[in-house]
Amino acid sequence: MTGARELFRWMVVARTLGTTLCTLNVRWFPVEGEEAVHVGSFVDLRADDAAAPHYRDPFIVYLMRGAELWRLVAQVLGKSAGYNKGRSVAFNGPFHLGVVPWVAGDLGTTIGTATGAALAFKQLRSDRVCVCSFGDGTANRGDFHENINLAATWRLPIVYVCQNNGWAISQRASSYLPAPVAARAAGYGIPGRTVDGQDVEAVRAVVAEAVDRARSGEGPTLVDALTYRRRGHWAGHILSDADRAGIIERPDPIDVLRLRLLERGVVSEAEIRQIHERAADEIAAAVEQARAAADVGDAELGLDDVFA
Amino acid sequence: MSIDAPVKVAAGSRRLTHTEAVVEAIAVEMRRDARVFLIGQDIGPFGGSMQGTRGLYEEFGPERVLEAPISESAMVGSALGAALFGCRPIVEVSFGEFLPAAMNQLINQAPNLHYMTGGAARVPVVIRTRVGDGPYGGHPQDYVSWFALVPGLKVVVPATPADAKGLMIAAIRDDNPVLFVEPMSLSHARRAEVPDGDYIVPIGSANHARPGRDVTLVVWGSTLPLALQAAATLSSEAVEVEVIDLRSLAPWDAGTVVDSVRRTRRLVIAHETWVTGSFGAEVAATVAGHVPRVDLLAPITRVGAAPVPIPSGPLRARALPTSAHIVSAVHATLER
Repeated sequence: MTGARELFRWMVVARTLGTTLCTLNVRWFPVEGEEAVHVGSFVDLRADDAAAPHYRDPFIVYLMRGAELWRLVAQVLGKSAGYNKGRSVAFNGPFHLGVVPWVAGDLGTTIGTATGAALAFKQLRSDRVCVCSFGDGTANRGDFHENINLAATWRLPIVYVCQNNGWAISQRASSYLPAPVAARAAGYGIPGRTVDGQDVEAVRAVVAEAVDRARSGEGPTLVDALTYRRRGHWAGHILSDADRAGIIERPDPIDVLRLRLLERGVVSEAEIRQIHERAADEIAAAVEQARAAADVGDAELGLDDVFA
Repeated sequence: MSIDAPVKVAAGSRRLTHTEAVVEAIAVEMRRDARVFLIGQDIGPFGGSMQGTRGLYEEFGPERVLEAPISESAMVGSALGAALFGCRPIVEVSFGEFLPAAMNQLINQAPNLHYMTGGAARVPVVIRTRVGDGPYGGHPQDYVSWFALVPGLKVVVPATPADAKGLMIAAIRDDNPVLFVEPMSLSHARRAEVPDGDYIVPIGSANHARPGRDVTLVVWGSTLPLALQAAATLSSEAVEVEVIDLRSLAPWDAGTVVDSVRRTRRLVIAHETWVTGSFGAEVAATVAGHVPRVDLLAPITRVGAAPVPIPSGPLRARALPTSAHIVSAVHATLER
């Protein structure tokens, strides 16, 4: 099992990579402050399980499943070396790593395909599971209701995680969430859990329990991971002072774990510096490699690749 | 059951209705391939809308005939996901009027999954539905043309029991999403010979339903019987109409149509759906803009439903095309 030190390293990579990508592409979606939900929800999945992460910079999830860093950066730069040949939104992950594809321009669609991954695992009589995360804005799409109801009815092996950052682009949750997301679980007859989304170990523990439940055939769980969005919806979206005043600040997930690890004596300050430096170096090298990669051309346009 | 078990090819045939032929095709594939399963409403002991899944639940049980909540978007979305991860689902969307409830999955997801994963993903899903006027009168709106305009989705509309079986088997074996449309007026129409066992009609191939030298008449689905009736009437006036049943709207067999019009130099297109923006417009544009040029003797003429939402009850007959409309359109083409 991945140790706490490794959890810390993944979060540092997520933070460093995210801030770098935001400088490379103003349309990238900042993950800053929400890293613990991505890492905690997906770190324990098996290689043969399916991962359907929220679109807000899910690269750390792909990296934990074995994706190559420079090829992910190439996706954000629209280069041919991206896993999807420059054809899709940049946050679409490598399918061969069991990542549920992001090919629609709108939200909630992957809740359907993720539920279908779980349906396949049940039909094929395997013990594989799917973890599917999405935002609190997306939680209001019809696909949320339809699929959780269907998964509960068929007892599918899936865990739904709401990465609840309190915003839907420019709107605050008060304009779309009249009740806690976890409370909806009762309506589907499944467990609903609320967890501190800034505490990666807490997220991991709650999701692990839900994954066990799914794997043993007891059906889905809905997890509401409370986090917050520190920046705008996209990198170039500057929050107004009024917006900032309305944000419920939560602790930085990296600080939370750092202090805990220091207290436990798991890492030293020097090791923490090394982790940060190593992440920065690896990302700088990946950016350089991605920048040097070929631009997209007719081969990527793929007129013969529309049908399998 | 083993996956991809060899199929016994029988030499015989049986007389089946359109619906019986579809059910037989699904049963053939479910026996052959354990990855094939069915999702839909009322497909359990009830036997499906318009008896469309009769016998399947009894043979394959609840683990492969999954009664779903009324949630078209989740039914299609979860089928796409199951296909991505190794299954070959068939989704039964009871009526075409319900397709818009799953539009996001049908338009924004299904066609894009293969292409936008750089060719890595395959989505072998069949979405089966029923459209148009029919014996029970409900759900007559026909929106099928919309789906033929999206790259990445296949659309088939069989008009005979044999084509219904052959195209359903082809659709289930296809590694792409296929919308399989059953014209409701044909569902329980007269039985016809359907080959036993393993029988495939390739997707994208049109059928010469009747040869002729004077006018090319392109149709699909429920309009085929009207077209054949019109052709018989016209034949008694010494006008020989060549009837082409497209069978597939995406991909479609432009070559067969162009070759025919090159000979007849006259084209009439007839369908149950509305004229504006229907797939018939694509057929007309393709022939009109073809290079090398097709030398037409008369303007292309189209026949379809009146431009109103298809009404209920006796009023409906005034909205839908008839064989008399087709005869008039052919006459108009000959007069020019």
